[in-house]
Amino acid sequence: MRALGVMAIALYAAFIVWLYARQPQTLQEVTGGIAAGIGAYRIDQQAFDDGLQFFRHNQFAAARTAFDRADSAGQDARTQFYIAYSYYREGWGRLYDDDRLFARGLERVNKAIALAPAGRLRVDDPDLQMRSADELKAELEAGLRTEPADFNPLKIFRRRK
Amino acid sequence: MSPATEAFYLPAVFLTVALLGGVRVADRVMLLPPPLYALVLGLLLFGVLARTGTLALHRLMNSNRAAVANLNGLLVMLTTFLASAQVFNLVTPESGLPRLLFDVFFLVLLLNTLAAAPDRVRVLRSLVVIFGSAFVLKFIVLAALSDPAGGMLKRVLLVLLEGVTLGTLTQDVFHESTGYLAFFTLALFMIGLALLPSSTHDRSSSSLVARSS
Repeated sequence: MRALGVMAIALYAAFIVWLYARQPQTLQEVTGGIAAGIGAYRIDQQAFDDGLQFFRHNQFAAARTAFDRADSAGQDARTQFYIAYSYYREGWGRLYDDDRLFARGLERVNKAIALAPAGRLRVDDPDLQMRSADELKAELEAGLRTEPADFNPLKIFRRRK
Repeated sequence: MSPATEAFYLPAVFLTVALLGGVRVADRVMLLPPPLYALVLGLLLFGVLARTGTLALHRLMNSNRAAVANLNGLLVMLTTFLASAQVFNLVTPESGLPRLLFDVFFLVLLLNTLAAAPDRVRVLRSLVVIFGSAFVLKFIVLAALSDPAGGMLKRVLLVLLEGVTLGTLTQDVFHESTGYLAFFTLALFMIGLALLPSSTHDRSSSSLVARSS
């Protein structure tokens, strides 16, 4: 019984440390995180496909709703990447970028990088011009910075990625 | 103390206190680990518990016990310390002048209790008063003052504190559930402390043995 107690308490302590480190906001995030920890987490594929369809038709708010439904625990790096990308595409502008949306995108891409194995995430989707989380992160960070290049009138000819 | 209490119940109670002590509910749920100063206060409280016999360390770890029993004892000690630190984190205001005042008062109260070395029952009563008062001040008085909507209590306090700049007193506003959770956590902590193996039990059981022989 004593040895069992040591194991049970060690597990409980590890769970508490994990909670403090990950700061989950919902019960779904807690259960999803535990499932991801043992490799049993699966996203809702139907909701993900719906999200992808909305994303490709530039319906970004609807896409994010579907992606959030697909990855309700926020544990899937690829889904988080697409959510970040949707913020990028929605916030991108010829004259200026929407800092609020870019900041949210940066938050999500950082989450995607944290979830990816060894922090390396590549999504092979021909519809995307930035296929790695690092490229997307750099683009979002550049959009949030104010630089002399922002006042270059030729900027209006740049293209959304 | 039964093996089950030592191996399961006490560490579980104190770990639960350590978990819930950092919960703050605002627009999102935050889990705040204890700051360094709370660790210092927790260590002082652990010292108070050991010095006053509220926690008999020799009953948890000694050379006559089996290794796994000593490990159980070590877990009780570690979780008691963590829970103590987290309880101070819980009842200390989050910022400003109140935080500084609470930190100083806790330090002085603990040093005073260490110096006075009261018995177990007095220590437990004293801790109920300390944590109870801190709870009322943080979760009722300061919370009322910090509430932007205000209420009857806030109006009364504003009259009483006329001339004081509230900017030094107001705190982050938390959801009401934080207070209820804090109350439950403090009650659980006190139950855990009351369940700890004490040297008072030692003395009473040895005197019973002496009488029967």
